[in-house]
Amino acid sequence: MSPFIDARTLPTGTVLEPDLAIIGGGPAGITLALALAHTPIRVMLFESGGLDFETGTQALYDGKNAGVKYLALNASRMRYLGGSSNHWGGWCRPLDAIDFEARDWLPYSGWPFGLSEMAPWFKRAQALVEAGSWIYDDADARMDAMAPMLKFAGGGAYTSWFQFSKTRDDVLPTHFGTRYADDLKHIPNLKVFLHANAVSLNLSGNAATLDTIDGATLTHKRFTVKPKATVLAMGAVENARLMLASGGAMGVGNQNGLVGRFFADHPIPRDTATLVHFAGELPGYYFNGTQLDGAILRATIAPTEDFKRKQHVLGSLSTIENPVELNEFDKAAIVTAALAVGADASNAKAFSVGCGLELAPDPDRRLTLTDERDALGMQRLKLTNRVSDNDFARYRATMKEWGRQLLAAGTGMIRLNYDTRAEWEGALDWGDHHLGTTRMHKDPQHGVVDANQKVHGIANLFVAGSGVFPTYSASNPTLNLVALTLRLAQHLRGVLK
Amino acid sequence: MSGPRYSRRAVAVGGGIAVALGLTAVGVTVPRLLHHRYRPSPNDDLFAYLVDRDAAVRVGKAVEMPPPNHLTFDLAGGLRKSLKGRTLAEATHEDLAKGLVVEVKGWVLPATVAGLAMLAAQES
Repeated sequence: MSPFIDARTLPTGTVLEPDLAIIGGGPAGITLALALAHTPIRVMLFESGGLDFETGTQALYDGKNAGVKYLALNASRMRYLGGSSNHWGGWCRPLDAIDFEARDWLPYSGWPFGLSEMAPWFKRAQALVEAGSWIYDDADARMDAMAPMLKFAGGGAYTSWFQFSKTRDDVLPTHFGTRYADDLKHIPNLKVFLHANAVSLNLSGNAATLDTIDGATLTHKRFTVKPKATVLAMGAVENARLMLASGGAMGVGNQNGLVGRFFADHPIPRDTATLVHFAGELPGYYFNGTQLDGAILRATIAPTEDFKRKQHVLGSLSTIENPVELNEFDKAAIVTAALAVGADASNAKAFSVGCGLELAPDPDRRLTLTDERDALGMQRLKLTNRVSDNDFARYRATMKEWGRQLLAAGTGMIRLNYDTRAEWEGALDWGDHHLGTTRMHKDPQHGVVDANQKVHGIANLFVAGSGVFPTYSASNPTLNLVALTLRLAQHLRGVLK
Repeated sequence: MSGPRYSRRAVAVGGGIAVALGLTAVGVTVPRLLHHRYRPSPNDDLFAYLVDRDAAVRVGKAVEMPPPNHLTFDLAGGLRKSLKGRTLAEATHEDLAKGLVVEVKGWVLPATVAGLAMLAAQES
């Protein structure tokens, strides 16, 4: 057993020389450390925080916001072992095949590989996030047998399923730090340093390799890490920050000015639509997680891949939320439509609909450094947030299609609640799903990292996490970034053997 | 001109049952149906499709523009053509199959339904 090491106890001037340095102890960093357990690779994991929330450490995340209203940068992530899994909701859903495709109607879209490259890692990722059996694609018949699903005619929207991370029974969700702390301590080729911050990436003279990393603690201890290879696993925001703040004015890996650009998250507008179900109540699995084969599932409505391609819409995952009241006009519309399609609306009930949206890649939705510095002397960030009108319009198209399908089946109808940009922005929440700032592309002109998540132009620097997603999907990222990290681990086994 | 496949009486009786159920669900009492009387109109053959004309009028007042397809220039004529020899349900299902839907205060409605409602509002 190897207890965690508090970096504040290291003698100043300590030089650490692992084969692999993992910077960040969130889901990606912990997954990577677990995946490389019992290999000859000597791994050191450096986590900025400790085992619990600490105000001083969390304040290192302070930053500025501009543009469309967004969460404070120090509130949308967590800086201690387990990272942002310490406040995630446990929602899991794999990426779809179309998420990887370059679409000519969607600028900057496409991954350097397809879903088949990720698929081998999903089952192991599913186990790590503790989301139960893999039944995302196989739940319809069994859930319908449990209680009849909402029926709608064929078309562009379909019922899909979330599964939920759970620690045990219905206790949600898996906090990676708490859950895997003991496992990490029992990995013989791993050392975990807490309260250990990376403050600078130092390149070799020809800038072709990462030479050293400057480490620091909030107690003013300084140390150096001299690894053979390094994986940045601090999340999409902090990875970009460290790369921008290192290597002089240009930054590290930023020769094409891409680091920090293409930031994305999932907007979660509330009460986007009103669903009327002519037959009244809906099964509980539309509103809450429901057990099936040891997994917890919740229904969601998504656009089909065919509809996305034909109508040029992006991903969205709509969920049915709470019962809502209707006004006299709404009742007139329901009566008129139900009678017209020959439906019986005598037991009709109405529900609010929420959703998570995929944003189109936008190079100007970005992170930049400010002149302000944190307690470690690192420049703080500013996030400039943007959402295009088209992002909202694409979601409306999907919901309108769903409304068409419901009426065609004679089972219900939809009211779209927002039309203007002000209405949309007034309803926006965000998923805290940081994406895209170190995007993956085979061409360094278009991506920060290559298909193996290696920073273009630097032989031994890699980036893990959802910051490498070049297009984002509407699916929650944790399951997917864990799968991608398992793939990275396989690659690193080859690189470092 | 061909009328609807079902007589007005049949529509009124059958529809009245459905309306009674439907309106109860959304909080409207049946006696209200008996309140409003509309003056005779050359478009009564079309209004016969509306089991709850009051509700349709309310919806129709919110239709911002003529629904898509053939209804644009001659709303009544277009509706008559669309409904010729078939039920409203058949016409609306064809609208839905073709994607002919419109938004009325956000509600996604079949184009023919929105057109009938709009015409009813114009003559209310």
